[in-house]
Amino acid sequence: MATNIDLKDIHWLIDMVHNIDVGLVIIEKDYTVKVWNGFMENHSGILSANMIDKKITDVFTSIPQTWLQQKINSVCLLKNKAFTTWEQRPYLFKFKSYRPITSNAEFMFQNVTFLPLADFQGQITQICMIVYDVTDIALTKQAFQKANSQLKHLSHTDSLTQLNNQGHWRNLCENEFINSKNSASPTSMIIFDIDHFKKVNDTYGHPFGDEVLKGIAEAIRQKSKKQDIIGRVGGEEFTLLLLDTNLKQAKLVAERLREAIEEIEFEFQGKQVKVTASFGVAQITESITNFESWIEVADLGLYIAKNNGRNQVGVSKH
Amino acid sequence: MSTPVLICDDSSVARKQIALSLPKDWDIDIHFAKNGQEGVESIRQHKGDVVFLDLNMPVMSGYEVLETIKREDLPAIVIVISGDVQSKAYKKVRELGAIDFIEKPINKEKLTVILEQYGIYKPGGYSSHSTPVIEDRVELRDALQEVSNIAMGHAGDLLGRLLDVFILLPVPNVNTLESSELHMTLSHIAEYEKVSAVSQGFIGSGINGEAIIIFHDASFSDMAKLLQYEDLESQHLEIEVMNDISNILIGAFLNGLAEQLSIPFSQSQPIVLGQHAKIEDIIRNQQESWQKMLTIEVNYRIQDHDIKCDLLLLFTEDSIPVIQTQLGYLLD
Repeated sequence: MATNIDLKDIHWLIDMVHNIDVGLVIIEKDYTVKVWNGFMENHSGILSANMIDKKITDVFTSIPQTWLQQKINSVCLLKNKAFTTWEQRPYLFKFKSYRPITSNAEFMFQNVTFLPLADFQGQITQICMIVYDVTDIALTKQAFQKANSQLKHLSHTDSLTQLNNQGHWRNLCENEFINSKNSASPTSMIIFDIDHFKKVNDTYGHPFGDEVLKGIAEAIRQKSKKQDIIGRVGGEEFTLLLLDTNLKQAKLVAERLREAIEEIEFEFQGKQVKVTASFGVAQITESITNFESWIEVADLGLYIAKNNGRNQVGVSKH
Repeated sequence: MSTPVLICDDSSVARKQIALSLPKDWDIDIHFAKNGQEGVESIRQHKGDVVFLDLNMPVMSGYEVLETIKREDLPAIVIVISGDVQSKAYKKVRELGAIDFIEKPINKEKLTVILEQYGIYKPGGYSSHSTPVIEDRVELRDALQEVSNIAMGHAGDLLGRLLDVFILLPVPNVNTLESSELHMTLSHIAEYEKVSAVSQGFIGSGINGEAIIIFHDASFSDMAKLLQYEDLESQHLEIEVMNDISNILIGAFLNGLAEQLSIPFSQSQPIVLGQHAKIEDIIRNQQESWQKMLTIEVNYRIQDHDIKCDLLLLFTEDSIPVIQTQLGYLLD
């Protein structure tokens, strides 16, 4: 900027500060407002004359004073800019959205830059706040994040039962296997399969089969703990990872599930239909070296249960 | 007889600058050491009655040198010359027996005053002192390393003051990488842990790059405690913590760099690159046009707390010649 500023230069400078489409506020260290530009006047509905020499925190009570103080301290200490973004605090001044009709934002999202202003001796005496309207960026990013998390949910979930699907459950299984090798607490797995499910489908039709699958998923959800990781890993095959659970406890859980499934009464055209399931259980032991062989051991237990006449829990020695 | 003087600093730039700052009319015999261990050896061989000692050095730090001198009662007067300007560092070296502390970059007048003050040197006592022979050529990397060291010290001091802790300062890493090698630097910073990162762009007079702060997820609760943010009502406490620490570390580092390069920078708003993910998923080079980049890596640790955060500065290829020109005063 020119060092010799003419009066006419000051005129256009002030004009520019007033009309620029960015909020400019200058405050003293005690929060007293010294400059309040046109953007701030128009969006807040408070004229500059009514803001000057007032404490900003008295007029805008929603600005947390401790928070503002921390920013001011940091700016004065560093003698450098400090930035706050809409991601940490959606807005500093609650203004309406610039496009009140076609934008779905309830308020203006803001990024704020705090700028230290020094007097001629180099002492920081005032702080300039620059307020940017970032509503469109914020909305776009939020929509993007929402779509991503929906996609993630869809790609991880079995749409019929809302349990983890096979691919995702196997990933989680691998993670838990690695975690358990680094921890002292036991981890177990239950695999079960609905007995003669093909017959159910053939006799009552696939829509009824789907009802059975949903009913069983609901039963597992009710009988399991929050941290258990449940998956539907095949047509009629379900799995549970039980954290902090040894083989003996896992067998009890499987037995309780078996009883619960046995007791569910499904209805087909006024007639009661019941199903049973066969279970395999396995705990991670030293001899099991990867998550795939852990699944195999549990699967072997399931075969034993099937061979011994179904509707029971089987364990393959491991 | 000439006084044996030892300059102990890992940076060739610093060794050269210190040597050139010594009074011309001082009857001395200058020796150099590249780390603490070499320094202690030289002192034992009576090559350092007066020692100018750096603090952050590989192999053996300046603190360890001071401890060894004290323990073995070696005959050496030590003046610390360091970029670590934390008052706690100053206190620590005084307790360990250093007679004084000079901030980097070294100021010739200040050094002379201190030497006179302690009666180590008298002006006009000697007249045939020639310019000392400096053993090796200064490369851009060495120069930038020393400049980073000083910028890092200022940033660390501010962070330490804000949090009221002692920041353990490392030796900054300066490298020129092929773009494809960036992932190696990243996995060196965090191989198995999940991290979060914030980036700020900076630009000025042909130098352009990004400053990235990498937070190790395990550090957050400790950091919020130190910032006294626990009571602060905020939906996004972690982002608040990340942005505030970035403001301090990036702001102060860039200020230090700008001062030494005589280039002011514009800084962008901070952008959260990602949270709680693998480092290589968060930080990716999206520009294929850059063959090379210049990187400065500083790993900050906080004493007595489980806090790690890393500052990574990435400069574009076309910034390198500009930096070279601006650092001309340090190069041969």
